[in-house]
Amino acid sequence: MEKRNKTYVEDVNRGVYDIKNEVRYSYKSDKGLTPEIIKAISKEKNEPKWMTDFRLKSLEVYHKLDLPPWGPDLSELNMEDIVTYIRPDTKMNTSWDEVPEDIKKTFDSLGIPEAERAALAGVGAQYDSEVVYHSIREELTAQGVIYTDIETAIKEYEDIVKEYFMTCVPPKDHKFAALHGAVWSGGSFVYVPEGVNVDIPLQSYFRLNAPGAGQFEHTLIIVEKGASLHFIEGCSAPIHSVINIHAGCVELFVKEDASLRYSTIENWSRNMYNLNTKRAIVEKNGTIEWVSGSFGSKVSMLYPMSILRGERAKAEFTGITFAGKGQHLDTGTKVIHAAPHTSSNINTKSISKDGGIAIYRGAVKISKNANHSKSTVTCESLMLDSKSKSDTIPVIDIMNDKVDLGHEAKIGRISEEAIFYLMSRGISEEEAKAMIVRGFVEPITKELPLEYAVEMNNLINLELEGTIG
Amino acid sequence: MSKEVLITKNDTKSLKLNKLPVITWRWLKVNEFNLKDFKLENIPAYNKNSINSHPVDEIEVNIIDNSVEYLEIEKYFNSLDNVGVSQEFTKMADSMYNCGIQIIASKNKKVSEPVFLRYSTDNKNPMIVDQNLIIAEENSTITVIIDYTSDDSTPGFHNGMTKIYAKDGAIVNLIKLQTMNDTSLNLDANIAYIGHGAKVNNVSLELGSDKSVVSYINNLEKDTAESNLDSIYLVDNSRLIDMNYLMNHFGRRTISNINTYGALKDKSKKTFKGTLDFKRGSSLSKGSEEEYAILLDKDVKSDAIPLLLCEEEDVEGLHAASAGRIDENKLFYLMSRGFSEREAKKLIIESYFRPIIDKIPLSQLRKKVENHIENRLLKI
Amino acid sequence: MSNELLKINNLSAKVEDKEILKGINLEIKKGEIHVIMGPNGAGKSTLASILMSHPNYEITDGEIIYQGEIINNLSPDEKAKKGIFLSFQYPEEVPGLTVESFLRAAKSSVSNEQVRLMEFKKNLKEKMDLLKIGEDYAKRYLNVGFSGGEKKKNEILQMAMLEPTLSILDETDSGLDVDAVKIVSQGVKMLANNSNAFIIITHHKKILDYIKPDFVHVLIDGKIIKTSDASLADEIEIKGYEWLKI
Repeated sequence: MEKRNKTYVEDVNRGVYDIKNEVRYSYKSDKGLTPEIIKAISKEKNEPKWMTDFRLKSLEVYHKLDLPPWGPDLSELNMEDIVTYIRPDTKMNTSWDEVPEDIKKTFDSLGIPEAERAALAGVGAQYDSEVVYHSIREELTAQGVIYTDIETAIKEYEDIVKEYFMTCVPPKDHKFAALHGAVWSGGSFVYVPEGVNVDIPLQSYFRLNAPGAGQFEHTLIIVEKGASLHFIEGCSAPIHSVINIHAGCVELFVKEDASLRYSTIENWSRNMYNLNTKRAIVEKNGTIEWVSGSFGSKVSMLYPMSILRGERAKAEFTGITFAGKGQHLDTGTKVIHAAPHTSSNINTKSISKDGGIAIYRGAVKISKNANHSKSTVTCESLMLDSKSKSDTIPVIDIMNDKVDLGHEAKIGRISEEAIFYLMSRGISEEEAKAMIVRGFVEPITKELPLEYAVEMNNLINLELEGTIG
Repeated sequence: MSKEVLITKNDTKSLKLNKLPVITWRWLKVNEFNLKDFKLENIPAYNKNSINSHPVDEIEVNIIDNSVEYLEIEKYFNSLDNVGVSQEFTKMADSMYNCGIQIIASKNKKVSEPVFLRYSTDNKNPMIVDQNLIIAEENSTITVIIDYTSDDSTPGFHNGMTKIYAKDGAIVNLIKLQTMNDTSLNLDANIAYIGHGAKVNNVSLELGSDKSVVSYINNLEKDTAESNLDSIYLVDNSRLIDMNYLMNHFGRRTISNINTYGALKDKSKKTFKGTLDFKRGSSLSKGSEEEYAILLDKDVKSDAIPLLLCEEEDVEGLHAASAGRIDENKLFYLMSRGFSEREAKKLIIESYFRPIIDKIPLSQLRKKVENHIENRLLKI
Repeated sequence: MSNELLKINNLSAKVEDKEILKGINLEIKKGEIHVIMGPNGAGKSTLASILMSHPNYEITDGEIIYQGEIINNLSPDEKAKKGIFLSFQYPEEVPGLTVESFLRAAKSSVSNEQVRLMEFKKNLKEKMDLLKIGEDYAKRYLNVGFSGGEKKKNEILQMAMLEPTLSILDETDSGLDVDAVKIVSQGVKMLANNSNAFIIITHHKKILDYIKPDFVHVLIDGKIIKTSDASLADEIEIKGYEWLKI
């Protein structure tokens, strides 16, 4: 008898995030992974030969690599059941009015056009496998800033894309990087020329609507010498009863004296395997700042990596992970100190409740030549009950004596005394706990732009609802 | 002695020691310690007396013969994969030991004078494969010192397993000192059962051997069990040390502390793996872990993997790891008082080691440790 | 209308199976200031914790009647809403929660209406000035990184903002320098009127140089063994507690 695989999906009512649209598409690949499917996707996207070859090579690598022996169980994930490419029934638009009504409504309810008007210098919106909307303020274009979907970039800025594409995260890095190399579609391309400071953030939003599908967007950002940028990435999907997979790839190149802040709130539904790879290469005096909030998904494996390649390069990582019922979120960060006087500062918080599993997995490596490097790591985990699980798995690898390194981790529960203290001031037990949890994540919320801080607090309230008190 | 369980060079691929309780990225190469080119065809006899001194009539000290029942601790050996430095070596120490002592402190007996065991290699006794068993009956107190050393420059081999069974209310102090010569291989495993209100205090001083692989697994089985593990290490030249410490909290209100200080010199390498595991049901327990590595030369390699595993809400777990050079200001201060740089460094390192050295209850052994450290730190 | 605010009848209580309070009787009317003194371990802080329903303490006998209602089983927040306030001996630190947002939430909850932001800020500023608390404290995390004295002043600030009917000050004066004791006392004097009452738990006389209590009670071994006027405090200052023990 054939074994039936039924995915057990845990979820709370997530309001607007769960609004599902009927699946309409103009092209949909077959399920599974074969060279034919890959060739068909590449042909459908009208790609140059080097990209088709790149995809096919990546597919070969994918089949050679094994699944990681550590971390969450991925045995339920069967790529034979996944549709890797779905082109929505629209073209890339530069005005919201041209976006089909149902898709536009989805982004409306997620507040994207509103945020664009209020606080953003440019917006990209991806729906399933393709970007459906892209815009950028004219004054930025005038300064030479490029912000477009990556398909357009391959056509219009082929040389730049070819030079950088998957050099930071090579397909052979791990199985899902290889998968990404083979089936990637959509995503954003940002190029900030030398000395240009983009004061207002750019945002790309990725929405996966179709059930049983994968989203594999590629984000490539190059911030040239002395330039600066704040980029925001938002992700969500409505709940389905079959497995979806997200294996995006983010490659960031931060040049000399440049700085980049990359903020993310991932709020996937709980049928999602989120196996995303993010990496930055930072040159001399450059700075990368990651702000990362992981809320949704059934399984997440996400460890943004900073390679500090130039002298005095800096990395900051601020992360929050909230694992509820049925979720296994294995998140953290990696920093490679590969040059002298580099520094990194890692600050993470995790909350687990209702049987959720929150794991911090990290690595700080200080190479032989990275003398006078500094690194501080602080991890705090909060357990809201004894059904849940929380592990801290950091690795500190030092190959040089002139370093200054500190790592600290704490695990615990909400203090009864603190609850009593707040209650003695007239605050209900439920609200007292919520206040303490919000206070716990405050150092992270305050790193987010206001709109997103509000969104994050809403997500926390949503997660805490009905479980406390 | 059956031949098939001995290790030949063909098996070397499988010699993965001191596995991390929860594995992580392979590229970091910290999931296990790889012992290369190891072979062992037979285990020669060990013909020395290992009982150096013991308090007469107070405590039963005998050559190990496995005649005592100690089921509670045997349960850890149901799966050899999870105890000791590796399956092969645990099996070897369990069934092919060539020496070992069993010590029993009877009920309510509180003895402060230590039992002192000494195992040393030389050209006639190049291998120590010891199994030691320490049983502390209810409410007894016992202190045991085990000294592993070399009497000549013959490359020595030590593989041992020390089992501690601390019954309810008992206190066991185990002090282990390892100063084998620089061509030796030291594999030392320890496992403890800690009963209700019982306490196991481990002190580990790892100063010798070319390669030293050390494992401590302390099981805080019953409520209010407590365990402290204080250790120091010193590695120089191209020597290396791999420590794997695990505190398993099962009982409620259990307490564990790990404190490790060490110094790395020349091209030496150290891996510290320290795990606090709060099992479901271990509510109101506390664990803390601190590790500090002093890096003395640019070619050292220092890995630290302090794990916190938690399935229980109402616990407090804390770990801290840090590494760095000797404080320049302290160094400058001491040098301004006329100490050479090397002497000043030695003084500072000794000041870190001092609290742990002071836990050795025998003055001649303390002296030996001090001399050993001094020699290693002052030589060019 | 009766002036009676609090009546404690034969109250016994335990913590972790240890009997601490062994039959306390106490009556407090509006407009009164009561001082409870006693040696360490007598049960003073236990009484304060019980009055605020600390989860670790359990009433084994007797009753607490507040404004005519038995309040033995009310939760801490319900008691706060009824106008009971406890100034903690060791105030808790809550990282990430600012003094301002905490107090606004507490005020809204206790007064049962959403407090208007501007009005609240003005009120807070006034009270902070009176208590000589720097303006930046409003934006700091609740008690995090506060010195002992700052924590205690913060308790008095909370009291001033929440305007309780019955305030219990648990060792609020301990560990404070003379200036801080003065400020705390001023806070009490500023708030005291005919419609509220105070219980001041202390084992120093110093605070009594600034506040004149109506009654002084001596609590030893879980019982109130003597009640008198303010002069009792002076007597204890000289003779200690031994002479009071039977």
